[in-house]
Amino acid sequence: MDFLWEGVEEAVRLIARGDRAVLHAAYNSVACTLTAVLLAAALALPYGAWLALCRPPLARTQVLLLRWGMFTPTVVVGLVVYGLLSRQGPLGSIDQLYTQQAIVAGEFLLAFPVLGALTHAAVAQLDPVVAETARTLGAGRARTLLTVLGEVRLPLAAALLTAFARCFSELGVAVTVGGNLELETRTLASTVVLDLSRGRFGAALAPGLILLGIALLVMLVAGRLERERRR
Amino acid sequence: MRRAGAIAVLVALGLAGLWALDPAPPAPAAGRLRLATTTSTANSGLLAWLLAPFEAREGLRVQVIAVGTGQALALGRRGDCDLVMVHARAEEDAFLAAGHGVDRRDLMSNDFVVLGPRDDPAGIRGMEDPGAALARVLERGATFLSRGDESGTHLKERALWARVGVDPERRRGYLKAGDGMARCIEVAHQKQAYVLADRGTWLAMAPRPDLAVLVEGHPSLRNPYGVILVNPARHPHVNAEGARRLLDWLTSPEGQARIGAFRVGGEVLFHPLARE
Repeated sequence: MDFLWEGVEEAVRLIARGDRAVLHAAYNSVACTLTAVLLAAALALPYGAWLALCRPPLARTQVLLLRWGMFTPTVVVGLVVYGLLSRQGPLGSIDQLYTQQAIVAGEFLLAFPVLGALTHAAVAQLDPVVAETARTLGAGRARTLLTVLGEVRLPLAAALLTAFARCFSELGVAVTVGGNLELETRTLASTVVLDLSRGRFGAALAPGLILLGIALLVMLVAGRLERERRR
Repeated sequence: MRRAGAIAVLVALGLAGLWALDPAPPAPAAGRLRLATTTSTANSGLLAWLLAPFEAREGLRVQVIAVGTGQALALGRRGDCDLVMVHARAEEDAFLAAGHGVDRRDLMSNDFVVLGPRDDPAGIRGMEDPGAALARVLERGATFLSRGDESGTHLKERALWARVGVDPERRRGYLKAGDGMARCIEVAHQKQAYVLADRGTWLAMAPRPDLAVLVEGHPSLRNPYGVILVNPARHPHVNAEGARRLLDWLTSPEGQARIGAFRVGGEVLFHPLARE
């Protein structure tokens, strides 16, 4: 149990000292995750809503695939992206392996199914009258979509947080396509792995605690926004 | 509608701003060198210490991808790094013979030790031949923990078993961790198992009081490292020029002296090996 206490001490020390590597890892975690989740949301929210509202052919299969995608182990997503970006892969020429962009691409693939499936579920629950009313009032497609998404904003916020959580704490992508490069692609979660592989358990706990701290902050901010919107 | 558009623009601007704030922006591809190597060189702290003067003088950033020897060579085969630094001579020669690499040079060596429980239930302390010691561990019903990950250490362990003609696979007491060196040492410590480790990782770790070095010093425990350039004829995109400069520097008197001067807890971990 000693190392738990040691971890707390180490976390405080790293933050107080403004340790460059840890700060950059925290920055990476936040920047990559936010970018990936927002990009995925820009596509997955309309897609999920479209599946629920327009019931295109094979809608159920698509929903099934989205839900299935939520189970993909992060390392498998990492491997797929590695295969694409490797020098011998189809996208090797763009030279993006072991970059932050590669991590964003992988996390995008992690976030997309979560956001799509949960948006679909939320919109499917909604009274179809909402969309019809919007349409009869002369709303175009985009406006109808926004109205519908606005009606389910609480479950959408939960979906966004779930996707954020999946990406923020993931490891498989960060290590396989990020390469865990110090001051470049190292994230908080992959810092934990590295310290573990060095056999330094207390030090490994510190970035984990920082990660949890940031996650708590994000939740508090999100909760705050939610309350303001409801007023 | 207009408000949604404004929010989207704000979010996009916010993201762009977030990326502009990157406290350590990535090096441009031209000033970047990728070295795939083993966890032992990176985890012991050698590489950070060794590469700092080279990076400063040459204005290159060396990205160290620390994986096992097997994976490092695989990255080289795929052209995903510019040079490899590994320790498994047979695999290195195969890598060269297949045309994946050019200009292999001896770099440095350290040595392996057999670690085990301090009270040594299998009674191998002080044995000369590490292969015979490993065989005795299983004969006496004790536990041996293998890396089991195709790393250089794992390959060395296999060679030791082969020397005494023992096949440990599926034998009682033979466990495979599938993890890095330091983690394996920790698992062995917790399970009171025997384990083959490189001395560097063992010394660089915080003390594990219930584990001790039991067998050491035999010639078969020597662990030479080599550096190989990824073949630029096969992978034209590699930073061949930068990789060669690093190779030359590592094997120069200056680089070799720096390797020999690296110490952990007052002990020399790696002995320079390059011949001029």
